Amino acid sequence: MARTYDFMLGGGHNFAVDRAVGAQIEQAMPGLREAARVNRAFLGRAVRFMVDRGIRQFLDVGSGIPTVANVHEVAQACDPECRVVYVDRDPVAVAHSELMLAGNDHAAIVQADMRDPEKILESPQVRGLLDLDEPVGLLMLLMLHWIPDESDPLDLVGRYRAVMADGSFLAITHVTGDHQGENLTEATDVIKESRSPDQVTLRTRAQVTELFTGFEIVEPGLVGCGEWRPSGPADISDASDMNMLVYAGIGSKKSSEHR
Amino acid sequence: MSKPDHLPDRTAVPADPARGRNLLARKWAYLLSGVTVVSLSREGLERELGDLLDAFCASLLGKPADTPSVERIGERLVALGYVGEPGLRCTLEVLGKGLPSLPELQPPDRFAERIVLGLGALSCGFLLAHERSVLDQQEIMHLSLLKAVRDAQWNLKESEARFDEVVTSSASGIAVVRLDGRIVRANTALAEMLGHPSGELTGTGLYDLVHPDSVEVFREAMQTLLEGGGRERIRQSLRLLRKDGDVARISLTASLLRDADDRPGHFVVVVEDGTELMLLQGELSRQALHDVLTGLPNRQYFGTHLEAALRRADPAYGVTLFQVDLDAFGMVCNSLGRRVGEQLLVHVAQRLKVVMARERAMIARFHSDEFGILVENTATTPDIDTIVRAINDELAEPFFVEGHGLALSASAGVVHRPAKGIDPAELLRAADQTLRRAKDRRRGQWKMFDPVADAADRRAQALAVGMAGAWENGEIAVRYRPVVRLADGGMAGVEARLQWDRPGGPPLAHERCAELAEATGLSLPLGDWALRAASRQGEWWHQRLDFGLPVVAGLTEHQATDEALGTRVTGLLADTGLPPDQLMIGVPVGALPMSGVVENLTALSDVGVRVLLDEFGMGPDDLRAVEDLRVGVVRVARRLAAWQAWSDSSFLSALVPLVRQVGATLVVDGIDTEVQADWWRDAGADLATGDYFGTAVTAGAVVELLA
Repeated sequence: MARTYDFMLGGGHNFAVDRAVGAQIEQAMPGLREAARVNRAFLGRAVRFMVDRGIRQFLDVGSGIPTVANVHEVAQACDPECRVVYVDRDPVAVAHSELMLAGNDHAAIVQADMRDPEKILESPQVRGLLDLDEPVGLLMLLMLHWIPDESDPLDLVGRYRAVMADGSFLAITHVTGDHQGENLTEATDVIKESRSPDQVTLRTRAQVTELFTGFEIVEPGLVGCGEWRPSGPADISDASDMNMLVYAGIGSKKSSEHR
Repeated sequence: MSKPDHLPDRTAVPADPARGRNLLARKWAYLLSGVTVVSLSREGLERELGDLLDAFCASLLGKPADTPSVERIGERLVALGYVGEPGLRCTLEVLGKGLPSLPELQPPDRFAERIVLGLGALSCGFLLAHERSVLDQQEIMHLSLLKAVRDAQWNLKESEARFDEVVTSSASGIAVVRLDGRIVRANTALAEMLGHPSGELTGTGLYDLVHPDSVEVFREAMQTLLEGGGRERIRQSLRLLRKDGDVARISLTASLLRDADDRPGHFVVVVEDGTELMLLQGELSRQALHDVLTGLPNRQYFGTHLEAALRRADPAYGVTLFQVDLDAFGMVCNSLGRRVGEQLLVHVAQRLKVVMARERAMIARFHSDEFGILVENTATTPDIDTIVRAINDELAEPFFVEGHGLALSASAGVVHRPAKGIDPAELLRAADQTLRRAKDRRRGQWKMFDPVADAADRRAQALAVGMAGAWENGEIAVRYRPVVRLADGGMAGVEARLQWDRPGGPPLAHERCAELAEATGLSLPLGDWALRAASRQGEWWHQRLDFGLPVVAGLTEHQATDEALGTRVTGLLADTGLPPDQLMIGVPVGALPMSGVVENLTALSDVGVRVLLDEFGMGPDDLRAVEDLRVGVVRVARRLAAWQAWSDSSFLSALVPLVRQVGATLVVDGIDTEVQADWWRDAGADLATGDYFGTAVTAGAVVELLA
């Protein structure tokens, strides 16, 4: 799916089969490119937001392949001392990231399942680059909707939260069906038929908000990712349903009373 | 062209060239950001496009036109991100419409050709760069695929190597078996078990090695494994045939290995020497070493581990032993039941494991609610305060069981870096003792092992437990000293006191004896014996010397709360024949709130025995007690006399009249000097005891005083 996403952003990091799936999805949901673009723009704003608030290290869980405007590019453009650890399970995505990050000693990728925070946190990459006594920016973008309810995404977030220092931030983007019609079902059907082992779980606003338990959601709260503090047409499109296809929010971890 | 009678046209092109460019650049950024994905922020993009526009205009204005630099503008556009066809289209539209309107590029017809050629050059530069970018991206995809495959192969080799290692060196017999039963490989251990030379088993049929009596059942079990349906592995006790004809009793576990397409590939068979019995034995010894409830090692196992750990301790960092005790655990069991208490213990065990997860530590359950933790320290081991705080933080998180939220604190005794050759039993004792000291009437405390305090404790404890034997041996006796009237120095009574004449040590006076006896509960029988002796003595003096003054004996707290006190006293009065009013019993005022004491006091008074309130503090509660209980005599605590001797104590003399006011006779204890005696006399005290008037002596010696 990561390569199809790249295709929809206008990239060349994909194969013919990915482009075919992309074309099919677009037929079911025209304008999905806009959603992809707007969603990618949120990542940049989220990282800049966190850097402005003192975050100098990031953990991007479920990072996919490096497309454009990656976390480390944005963060290190603000402050070259920023450190980023990417996490993904797919061996090709990991290999791709390793090639891209080869010269960068402030960024690394861990091959691990995002459902295994303990393994990720024990990895030499995390131990070497991140100091978890300091605030960290945790990015769970377009990732939690791959975790079905049976796998308890709330508990998973909690396990990450437990090791984050106060002053850390969590950014979540999550696909929702709240503002879509039949076309979304068609699109998710395409994914189902592609026999990918992972399937998408759409969640409502209330359900996504619940994932922020233990964090204080910053203004403007949980909104469509196109509507999260947009600064221009880069961040928000004319298609309001595409702006709202994905919920975006950033939460800050305050002091321990919230436990 | 301007029209007459009109206001100046506000939509006319602004005259300032920089401003014009600025606006165009911002428009370009605005529109471009709507169709592309770039990594710059909005401000960043505006700045970058501003630069590009400047470069473009520079080339348009220069002579001759600088085509390569315009091509580079196209390249830089591509480098911004995923710009592509939509980005180029947007750029051409914006620049195509906007450039001819810029003030510096007027008149338009002079620049039209240049603009067109320039845009063409930009597009070509863009095209080439875009092509390269796409090819690069595709190349990276291929490289990634290759790399991923290589990595997977390498991982596979590694895991195969690991498997080999495990199989070869394992003490259990391990074989990889084809689905038809042919052994593909078997390790040395299995070969030995069956009496074959190493390697000989390869190619043999597994079922041929199984004793005919059990082979059919075994075959069926393997078949169920093959068919799937839930069971991951089977386990059987079997007899295998050895090469020499003997039978080997073994326990066999088999599981199915699937290949890359998830189809059954091979069996893996693990063979352990022995039968179920041996397994049970294994289980038994495991249980003998582990606590059944929490699964933690038990004290015995811990002790063994402790020995080993001490031997291999790092000389720089050593080990640390924590003995941790849950505060108020008894209260939990008592109020919420045993089962809740047990669940709490299981929870605590888990929490302790979490806290110590990063250290090389063994956690054991000693008994009840006590846990031991041994940490083999390293450079990264946190300091003790941090560890104990972490433990208490973990335990402070409420644990919910049956609707109750429980959180307990823990106390700990810590021995840090004990000497290398220390005996493990001694180490455990030291930790235990330190824990007792930490728990002394406080919660959530931890204490470090203090050798000086520890030695003092041990001496005191040794004395206390040896006291019963000493009493048996006659080392403990009753001595007597006078109770003196301050006004004229005359005697008002005789006080009976304990004294312990230890061989090889200084004698211990009454206060120390009473304290030691209280620790072990010896104070009841010993006190009874002393009271009897004193009463008998008093009666003897009464009979022979016509001595009519009371014999005074002070009780300890235990004695005062003893339910049988009344019976004891009446009993001994009857036995000795001493008139009740010739016996004065001292009750420590601190014991009054305890249950049963006031009843005892009343019972004694009813019998006619006189009561003295001992350890009197002269505070309002004490004074109230005198009034309420209608006690006639109080004895002021020794510390007040000591106090008076060493500091400003004018308030003490102010308190004395209050005692008189409630109608009690005031006795003072601890008068060691004439100065003290004078002071208290002047203050208004009636009677006194203390070394100044004579230390406690034998009954025989007292007689002289009585004369």
